[in-house]
Amino acid sequence: MKWKITLALSAACAALVIVLAKGFGRDPHEVPFMLRGQPAPPFALKTLQSGEIVSLEKLRGKPVVLNFWSTWCGPCRAEHPVLDWAFREYGTQAHFLGAVFEDTEENALGYIGRAGSPYPQLVDPKSQMAVDYGVAGVPETYFIDAEGIIRDKFVGPISRGAFAAQMRSVMGPRASAELPK
Amino acid sequence: MSSLLVALSLSIATLSGAFAPQQAGSAPLEPALEARVQRLGKQLRCATCQGLSIADSPASMARAQLDKVREMVSAGKSDDDIRAYFVARYGEWILLSPKPVGFNWLVWIGPALLLIFGFAVIIRQIRRTPSTAMRSGSPPVAAPAEDEYVRLVRSELEK
Amino acid sequence: MTSTLGYGAVLGALFCAAFGALVGLGTGASRREWGLPWARRAAVGFFAFMVLANAIMVYALLTHDFSVHYVAQVGSRATPTVYTVVSLWSALEGSILFWGVILGTYLLAFALSQKKEHARYLPFALGTMLAVGVFFAFLIAGPANPFGRVSPAPPDGPGPNPLLQNHILMVIHPPMLYLGYVGMTIPFGIAVAALLRGELGEAWTTTLRRWTLIPWTFLSVGIILGSWWAYAVLGWGGYWAWDPVENASFLPWLTATAFIHSTMVHERRKVLKLWTISLVLGTFLLTILGTFMTRSGVFNSVHSFTQSDIGPTFLAFIGILLVFCITLLATRGQLLSPEGAIRSPLSRETAILVNNLLFVGITFTVLLGTLFPLITEAVRGVRVSVGEPYFNKMAVPGGVAVLFLMGVGPMLPWGSANPRVVREQLLIPAAAAALTIGLCVAFGLRGVMPLLTFGLAAFVTAITLRELLLPAKVRILEHKEGPWTALVRSASKSRRRFGGYVVHLGVVFIFVAIAASSSFVTHTSATLGLGKSIKIGDYSLKFVGLKEGAEPHRRWKAANVEMTTEGGGAQLLAPRMNFFERSTDPIGTPAVRSTPTGDLYVSLLAFGEDGGSATFNLWIFPMVGWIWWSMPILVLGALIAAWPSRRPSAVLSLSSRGAGPVSKVNRGAA
Repeated sequence: MKWKITLALSAACAALVIVLAKGFGRDPHEVPFMLRGQPAPPFALKTLQSGEIVSLEKLRGKPVVLNFWSTWCGPCRAEHPVLDWAFREYGTQAHFLGAVFEDTEENALGYIGRAGSPYPQLVDPKSQMAVDYGVAGVPETYFIDAEGIIRDKFVGPISRGAFAAQMRSVMGPRASAELPK
Repeated sequence: MSSLLVALSLSIATLSGAFAPQQAGSAPLEPALEARVQRLGKQLRCATCQGLSIADSPASMARAQLDKVREMVSAGKSDDDIRAYFVARYGEWILLSPKPVGFNWLVWIGPALLLIFGFAVIIRQIRRTPSTAMRSGSPPVAAPAEDEYVRLVRSELEK
Repeated sequence: MTSTLGYGAVLGALFCAAFGALVGLGTGASRREWGLPWARRAAVGFFAFMVLANAIMVYALLTHDFSVHYVAQVGSRATPTVYTVVSLWSALEGSILFWGVILGTYLLAFALSQKKEHARYLPFALGTMLAVGVFFAFLIAGPANPFGRVSPAPPDGPGPNPLLQNHILMVIHPPMLYLGYVGMTIPFGIAVAALLRGELGEAWTTTLRRWTLIPWTFLSVGIILGSWWAYAVLGWGGYWAWDPVENASFLPWLTATAFIHSTMVHERRKVLKLWTISLVLGTFLLTILGTFMTRSGVFNSVHSFTQSDIGPTFLAFIGILLVFCITLLATRGQLLSPEGAIRSPLSRETAILVNNLLFVGITFTVLLGTLFPLITEAVRGVRVSVGEPYFNKMAVPGGVAVLFLMGVGPMLPWGSANPRVVREQLLIPAAAAALTIGLCVAFGLRGVMPLLTFGLAAFVTAITLRELLLPAKVRILEHKEGPWTALVRSASKSRRRFGGYVVHLGVVFIFVAIAASSSFVTHTSATLGLGKSIKIGDYSLKFVGLKEGAEPHRRWKAANVEMTTEGGGAQLLAPRMNFFERSTDPIGTPAVRSTPTGDLYVSLLAFGEDGGSATFNLWIFPMVGWIWWSMPILVLGALIAAWPSRRPSAVLSLSSRGAGPVSKVNRGAA
């Protein structure tokens, strides 16, 4: 075999192995999220508990924590106590909102009736707000700052430590909750 | 009786939230617009699936995305606007066919380059031995110095 | 106890493989044959131990022995027995164990079938194949060990993936694919033996050809069965999604098909030796790459197994194989020098060269498209997707070109062609093509690609039928035989040619089916209340109610739909949704009504809780069934082509160097 062909073939195969090796360690199921640092899309939705309309622009001035969940999602139920704790810790410093994703109102009401929810839950018909926010599954928790910019989102069931870290960055150095032990 | 129990257990399971409720999407638009929705749907990836388009996937996320496309089409947005909307949220990843810009040209041009290169190799391979004068369409003539034995064997096989 | 026994069997297989590889390769390197019987025994031992290990695993699965790690992973008391056996290959560790037994079976068949005449190649060949066996036995014994012990043993397990329990095709599709995939190890060993030995004799080439055709057939069937499964189970009406793992199975099929064609040119003109061998090496490399893509967790696919440590091990193996193959080709390649030449552009040889280029081009395109997201992320740090729209855009022109060549190639003779004769031979097939396109247009069908495909299909069918039947016609005229006798005799005289053309006919079916079922689909979706109907095509469908049921491993809800046709036929269709313990999303089973002209496909999307309404997706796919019905034709053609002849076949060496023409007379080429 001519040496030019050997060389070319070796280079191509080396490139192949390198590309494959670089694939390790990354999660192929992770969905890109492009709204970091972008203004949060506006919404005006009614809440599950009272039926009143909540709109994003009325919430300016304080950070907003927006949690997408559904009743059929096990990890969502697992993170529920963490969200309760977070509301107790940060409820005065930020608005807390929940949004029901791809579920029926009856299911959501039933769940809240049993497990309780200290903050308003939004009804998102046909999950249009979720698509607007670039949601790719549940649970996802969005952290929006006081000016309405999405700072970050946390994918998956959130822990107390992660929540505290997110609050610190969204509120700047003014976060005053205790760090969990 | 047992069928009643089955029905009951299934309803309880669905009501207790063990399974995602299977809800219908928004109603299809009139045919010309709906065709546009389906066409765009084939180009956009379902955010929770393994590579299916939102037009093909039965997942609830896909339905929500397709509903969004339907809403935007009936609001009069252009195809580019709709694609840009999804790219702004999910990145280039949401497009099932990479836009032919910049680095992506590699995946569109690469195969063509290979074919051109391959044709050149074939032409060189054939040109290397100049084609002899065209013969009639009879079976290929064997090498002139064919052995008697070979001919005998060949005629044996032909029987 | 079971774990220990099973693990012991795996270690036994590893030992046999390592021993056999060393003995085989060493014997070959010494250019003698002393170790050959031992290499053979090692192959038998490898087979025996693998069978034992698999039997122990199946026994553990059937007795629900949850102390064995793999059983705890995929076993469940609720799973029906047939799917419990199937769960052997439903998850990563078990599937590699299954790979081992398939490899052992192939090795046994090969080792026992080879006659004394190939003794100079066999040590190298068996040694190489057993070396591959070492890798897989090492995987099973190490990173992918299914026989680990779990203590305390759990009382029950989660069962196999629900998607794999939904349809009986899951019983046969993976074994067929494995028989195809794993089988490519055999031609790899044969080719490596030829390179290591520095020669490639006629009889050994015949062996190479036969032992590539066998796994090729299984791979073809496995791929088509997989697409049938996707169609019948997944509910989106498609049968090929260009998913990375689907592509992984397609790539070696493409290069193996290219090999089957280039080997004909090699046989006639004694050129392309190095290229042909490279295709065989490439096919095997692509099977290992494909396995890597499926199991490494690097690719996002419906088929991916869960991520594990196995990825880096596979990549290391791929690296070693690449270095080995390139070195072998670079150093020993010059020994396979061409002895003839291709003289004319208007000849079958050139058509086959173009065929090879197209197949390699398609392979490259599919590989590039599948890897491109990884490449982009490595280079730009951005994620992109390459999915169906891209692959369809690239594959359709390529497919049409291949279809065209399937007609042109058989029409051109070996050697050079007289253009006048070629023009004469073109008349009837071209007329058939024009007639077909005309009929289609007259019936109202439109669209450049599908019409072109149908026209070319007629073109190819005319040429292929002529090639199949002309020798029989000659026999009828000259020997006064009856038509059937003439056909059978002409087929048995040139099995490979006859079988090959039969396979071509099957492939034409597939092309036509794909073109028809993608270009002329009728689609609608609707939400129907109780008693309401909807029309699609000639069918009228009325929703009559919901029904529920339960099986040990799943519960389901079906929507009963009364289907009536204009011609007066009636049928009850029941598309359903299956709810499994393990997943929150139900998995649908569509209701399909197949006829030779097309399928009516109904899938249930949603239902009202009160049972008063249901949402359906409805399609009519013209001629899609021809894809799966072409399988018997492909298998028949391959069987005819691969069938060994009982008569002695003389091996003629038409070397233009003159004297010494006949090299050997072989009895029943192996």
